[in-house]
This record gives sequence, structure tokens and C-alpha cells, in this order.
Amino acid sequence: MCFALSACTNPPIAFDKQNFAMGTIISQHIFGDKAKLAADEVMQKIKYLEDNLTINKPGGEINKLNANAGNGKWIKLDKEIIYVLGKAKDFGAKSNGAFDVTVGPLVKAWGIFTDKFRIPPASELTALKKLLNLNNLELDVPNSAARLTQKGQIVDLGGIAKGYSGDVAKEIYQKNGITSAYISLGGNIVAVGGKPDGSNWSVGIQNPRAENGKYLGIVSVKNKSIVTSGDYERFKIVNGIRYHHILDTKTGAPARSGLISTSIISDLSIDGDALSTATFVLGLDKAMALIESLPGVEAIFVTDTKQVYTTSGLKGIFTFDDATKEFTYVEKR
Amino acid sequence: MLKKGDLILIAIIVVAIAIGLVVVNVLRDANASQPKIAEVLQDSKVLKTFDLKTVSAAQEFKVVGKYTNTVRVENGRIRFVDANCPDKVCVKTGWLTQNGDIAVCLPNHATIKIVGKADKIDIVSY
Repeated sequence: MCFALSACTNPPIAFDKQNFAMGTIISQHIFGDKAKLAADEVMQKIKYLEDNLTINKPGGEINKLNANAGNGKWIKLDKEIIYVLGKAKDFGAKSNGAFDVTVGPLVKAWGIFTDKFRIPPASELTALKKLLNLNNLELDVPNSAARLTQKGQIVDLGGIAKGYSGDVAKEIYQKNGITSAYISLGGNIVAVGGKPDGSNWSVGIQNPRAENGKYLGIVSVKNKSIVTSGDYERFKIVNGIRYHHILDTKTGAPARSGLISTSIISDLSIDGDALSTATFVLGLDKAMALIESLPGVEAIFVTDTKQVYTTSGLKGIFTFDDATKEFTYVEKR
Repeated sequence: MLKKGDLILIAIIVVAIAIGLVVVNVLRDANASQPKIAEVLQDSKVLKTFDLKTVSAAQEFKVVGKYTNTVRVENGRIRFVDANCPDKVCVKTGWLTQNGDIAVCLPNHATIKIVGKADKIDIVSY
């Protein structure tokens, strides 16, 4: 129906594409003439990154680094792999080791992301913890090389690879002149511009105790990354205990910090990815202090007592909207 | 005693209300007659499409890949009812009823979704 005051032009139609990669579902929603071209280019690049950043299948750059752990040799790696490793070290230091990509041996022991989940005995975890040390990941940036100094060490970039891929997707969109799009890499959202009508994207924050797709609040943004980490994404409950995929290298076990979900809103998705894991492991107080110390980064934290906290910069950006009425929004601390 | 002007005013109000009612009904009908399209995908390929509003008899079918999912379609809703994948996240997602609802089986690369956008959000971060 047309009214005198409303324009009768059709709204632009998005190009939607979904693929399975990086062990998750990748959804792209793109406006513009070159949408399909850009979407295909993004998937090609993501598959390349998956091949080179994963330890879940043979081949690729990170496996090369891990295979040579402890033999002293510097391993030449692609520049962008060195960039990702540099970011990993940076956020490892910023979070006082809460985010630690040398977590690989633990990930393998727990069988995270495989159908062979197991609870390793304490003695095994104690032994493995000696292999976890971010300082043993050494970078030679000018020569684009890296090495692990202890035999048996394994770098696992599962906590940062999707974030980096989101940033790369954004670059590809922009190179193709796309000014309105988003990509979801297994729930890591990267928004490019706003909607075609100029308004903000509305990104729901998953309710960590409801079905997939049910949210407990909405973030209204343009040009931002939103990354969420939660204990509900991949988990097994054994004898009433929830074993999830976010491991704490200090205990060797799934992190029990009192947080059940953390969401990071930032410009770079690689930062958001590392920080969502780091804050999840740190717990509310340290997480809040860390994020408030980083300019341009905001966060939403959900505790196991079903309270929702936000950093100061989210005023007017985050709207608490919990249909289940089970959560409480604590605006001021 | 009503004056001529009053009668004209009343007539205008009556006509305005009548137009308003017609507009509201037309809009409501337009919304009600919008199809509710559900898609079943494996990887990027659309296997089946339904208009959930026109589904009369319930039906079930399988999506076969590395694992097997059973999808059930009824009037107005769709869900995974069974799967032999390890975690069964797809089944736990339950019924999809609203635009933008989606359920995924990662191990089998299977997706069911209701096309369109949810009322208040564009996408969910999880």
C-alpha cells in the first residue's frame, strides 16, 4: 500500500549466504551490487585461514610451528599468521595469562571440539600445565618467523582465528565498495556500516540459559564487532557439572570464574575474540577493570547468579530486554 | 439543535473513521497473508522450502550426511525432532515459529530457518 507521504520505492534486498567452515556456521548478509562477489571472496579467504590456523586437521602454518616445538628452529610463517600470533601474545600479557594460546595440550586432553570428550585425571592436568607458557612462544617479526621453545607445546588459535577472519571479511567488503553488511562467524558478529537506510544494526546478545536465538539484550551499533563467549556453546554435563570449552590454563579445567557469558564490543574482531575469552576466565571484577582500561572497547558480562553488567561506555548502546524475566540488569556497580 | 456545519463535521468524522477502519483491515490482511517461508539447507544448498502457513498435514523427513537429522514440519512451525549427532544441539533448539528463527546441526552441516528478520533484532551474537 502506498501513502502520499511514504516513498514507494522497494527497500534494497540483501544477498544472504551461509557456509560451514572453521567448525561453525558462517552467515553473510550483504547489500550492494558486488555482494555475491564479495561473499565468495570472503569464503575463499576464510577457508585459506582455516587451513593455516587450525590444529584440527593436518597441514598448514600453525601445525608447522607446533611440529617443530622445542627443536630450536625458527619457523618462517606467513605475515598474517605472525600478526595473529602477535595479537595473541599482546592479549595474553594484557590479561595476565587469562588468554593463552599455548593452551593446545589441554584442549587435546579434554577432547574439546571432538566427539571424544573426556575428563582428564588431575595428575595428567598437572603434568600438562608445565607445557602452558605464552613466553615460550617467541616471535621474530622482522623475519616473519616464530618458534615454541619447549617440546610438546601446542599453539591453538581457536580463541582468536574467527575474530581475525571477521576483520579480514570486513576488509574484503570495503575493498568491494560495500557499505552495509554483516557477517556472523559462529556468533562472532562483524557489522560493516549500518543498515541501508542509515540506521544501526540491532545485535541480540544470546541469553546463556535459553534456546539458541533468544536474547537478553540488544546492542545497537554501526561498524563494530560483537563477540560473545559462553559456557553454553559447547559443553557436556557430567554428574551435574557443566564442562564447557573455555579452559583456564591456571587450573587446567573449564574456567569457573562466576561468569557464564561475556560479550565484547570493539572495532577489531580479533581483539574482541581474545578479550571475550580472557574476561570469561578472569571473572567479573578483573574483567571489568581490564575492559575499562582499554579505550574503544566495551563489554557485557553475565554472571551465574543471572545478573547482567555492562561497562560504562554502553550507556544508550545496550538495551536490556530479557523476555524470560530471569535476569537482572545491574546498571550501576 | 444541530446546525448545518455540525452535520458536515459529523459526516467528515464518520467518513474518516470508516477510512481508518478500512486501512487498518487492509494492513492486517496484508500481514496475515504474508507467507512464512521455512528453508532446510545442507551446507549452502537449499534442500526444501515450505510456506509454513499453508502446511496442512504434519510431515517428517531426513537430512542425510555425515549424520542424520529428522525434521518435522507442521502448520506454522518447524523443528529438528531427532538426530544421531553427538550433542543434539539442533534438537534442543526446539520449534522455530518466528521470522529469523534458526536451528543448526554443525556436525551434519544442516540448517533449518524461517526466512526474514526477527521483530527487534537483525542477528544474534553467541
